[in-house]
Amino acid sequence: MVIENVIAAFNELATVHTVLLMLIGVAGGLIAGAIPGFTIAMAIVLTLPFTFSMPAVQGIATMVSVLVGGLSGGLMAGILTGIPGTPSSVATTFDGYPMAQKGKAGLALGIGVWSSFFGGIISAILLMTLAPQLANIGLEFQPWDYFMLVMFALTITASLAGKNLVKGLIAGVAGLLVRAVGEDEAVGMARLDFGSDALLQGFDFIAVLIGLFAFSRLLHDVRDPASARKRLSSNTSGENLSVKIEHLAALVVILKHWTLLIRSALIGVFTGVLPGAGGSIANILAYDQAKKTSKNPEKFGTGTPEGIIAPESSNNAVEGGALMTLMALGIPGDVTAAVMLGALLVHDIVPSPTFIAEEPVLAYSIFLSFFAATFMMLGLQSGMLRVFVLVTRVRMYMLAAIILGLCGIGVFAINNVEFDLWTLLWFGILGVFMRQFGFPFAPMILGVVLGNIAELNLARAVAISTDLTLFVTRPWALFFLIVALFSAVFPVYQAYRGTQKWTLFYLPVACFAVAGPLFMMGGVPRTVLAGVVVMFGAYTLWKRAQAGWAFERDDAPELPVSEG
Amino acid sequence: MSRLNKDAVIAIFLLVASGILFWSTFSIRTPDYGVLSPAAWPRVIIIALTLLSFIYLFQSLKAGPSTAAADADRQPGIRGWFIYWQNPIYCFALFLAYLLTLPILGSLIGGLAFVFTLMCVLGGISGNKLILHAALSLVTVGGMWVIFTYGLGVILPPGIIFSAF
Repeated sequence: MVIENVIAAFNELATVHTVLLMLIGVAGGLIAGAIPGFTIAMAIVLTLPFTFSMPAVQGIATMVSVLVGGLSGGLMAGILTGIPGTPSSVATTFDGYPMAQKGKAGLALGIGVWSSFFGGIISAILLMTLAPQLANIGLEFQPWDYFMLVMFALTITASLAGKNLVKGLIAGVAGLLVRAVGEDEAVGMARLDFGSDALLQGFDFIAVLIGLFAFSRLLHDVRDPASARKRLSSNTSGENLSVKIEHLAALVVILKHWTLLIRSALIGVFTGVLPGAGGSIANILAYDQAKKTSKNPEKFGTGTPEGIIAPESSNNAVEGGALMTLMALGIPGDVTAAVMLGALLVHDIVPSPTFIAEEPVLAYSIFLSFFAATFMMLGLQSGMLRVFVLVTRVRMYMLAAIILGLCGIGVFAINNVEFDLWTLLWFGILGVFMRQFGFPFAPMILGVVLGNIAELNLARAVAISTDLTLFVTRPWALFFLIVALFSAVFPVYQAYRGTQKWTLFYLPVACFAVAGPLFMMGGVPRTVLAGVVVMFGAYTLWKRAQAGWAFERDDAPELPVSEG
Repeated sequence: MSRLNKDAVIAIFLLVASGILFWSTFSIRTPDYGVLSPAAWPRVIIIALTLLSFIYLFQSLKAGPSTAAADADRQPGIRGWFIYWQNPIYCFALFLAYLLTLPILGSLIGGLAFVFTLMCVLGGISGNKLILHAALSLVTVGGMWVIFTYGLGVILPPGIIFSAF
């Protein structure tokens, strides 16, 4: 059955037109990724208007290609100029740039390119094998569970805003509110429209995303007149244009560190599965783990290959994890996946636990395009090095003006509605204010994307039973509630870890709490899992008691706020 | 105005906005069918927003006056504020002009004018820049317009001027 679906999906993708579009998508993503300050989510969101008139498979394959290209494009700028093209390649510069400075730019690029490739392939394999299993678990979810899952996704995304937890939560709630404007999902009544026909239609969420993300980002980037007129990078020398990627030498180095490669890719996949955490977090986590487990941690930061392998394999693996939860549960793992969800919805594809079973060819087309785009990325990255270097010589104001102009045309093209352009403008202004006052974007974007899913499931839950206790007594709903509560407290825990005694109990108590609903779910595997979780909690408690409740050394990395 | 004041002002703004939005939920019609009122979900969200805004206000007031110099490169006064934000203001103003003139100029002429003017405003018009800006505008906006109109079959606003030809 799986083989048949894979073959059918392959036939859908294996057309000259689709392959050409995918190549353009990967190339576009690579270039966008190479531009400092231009995030992957921005690249996808700006590609979306071009794809809406394409058949679903073709459009989605193009978007996935941009995504895969964008994930890898950042490493070129990072290694050659020391300025990461995207937030997900920040850690790559720690060792990639010093290695290039030592005259080994070709080797550094080779390690980066091949680590990205292997990270992507591992992630694609896990996506294809685990997404259907996750969807089977998702079939158990009832409206109460789904509603709580959305609440959990919003809470954990807000908690990743760190010290700005309240601002993160406000942003998430504001996102839900934006989606509530217009006709309601269940019975079609006008809401919060203040008598305006335009507001009655609601805000098109692609226009909202482009306004919040792309528009505001560009305005932020040109805020300073002097830096707006400068080239994106002044570190690009003529020498960089003649660099040759050392593929063979890089492969030998990577094979020597294959355990690190796999471990980092798994960190990436896990981070991707977690709602709200994206490549910007995964690359730092993987780099930190690589340093801690290395025999030569002192060499990190001086141009060691391990410092390139870890972040690059993890950041490319992130999207496999994010697409996994998106495809199987309909919940985006990060901002980029949230934009991808928007792209799927534009093509009338609604991801859910039944999606893979009901639309297997389409689902496997997405899986396969992720796989194929990773191979295309490998080939194109080697051939387009010159373009990456040249693109960093563009002046910011030119880029901003052109992209704003393209936004003006592209947003209109989505629905042929002029109000969407006004939405773009208002949310662009809102985005600038949010940036200025430290409100994170990820919770708001997730709120906008998940708002109607939350409301629909709330309506369904209330229609089935008016008993509201089901939101806290059903095992899955309780599970998501507990995880949401602990993730909400997490920033406070992080702030006081090592100084307050109660923080020593955070992890054990979280383990005991989470085990409760797992026991309630029944069945041997989950009961065993719950037992393991309880034992881990008890062991941690015992270990800390043995240590006389002394504080542990805090050497966890400072994680960046995930923006996408 | 210190950072604290800004946060407190935003919190108060959010509280006022929440009040207005909550009041507007009373004008949402409730049909005879369906169990969950169409006003229920917005009310839940607005109540959550109100509670969070109160916490935000409380935090802002508790933190006390901020001594950190925010936007250190900004001059005081309205003139300083304008100079600091001039580029984003130009972008918004030009985009607003693009929207208002869209029915007349259409996507192609309006888009070209917007990108060209914005480049000149942000980057200056000295030397060969005018030619470069014109060429870039023509290639990018023109290219995009051609792709959408002829490649994707999307009818973009032609505008009164373009329609005349």
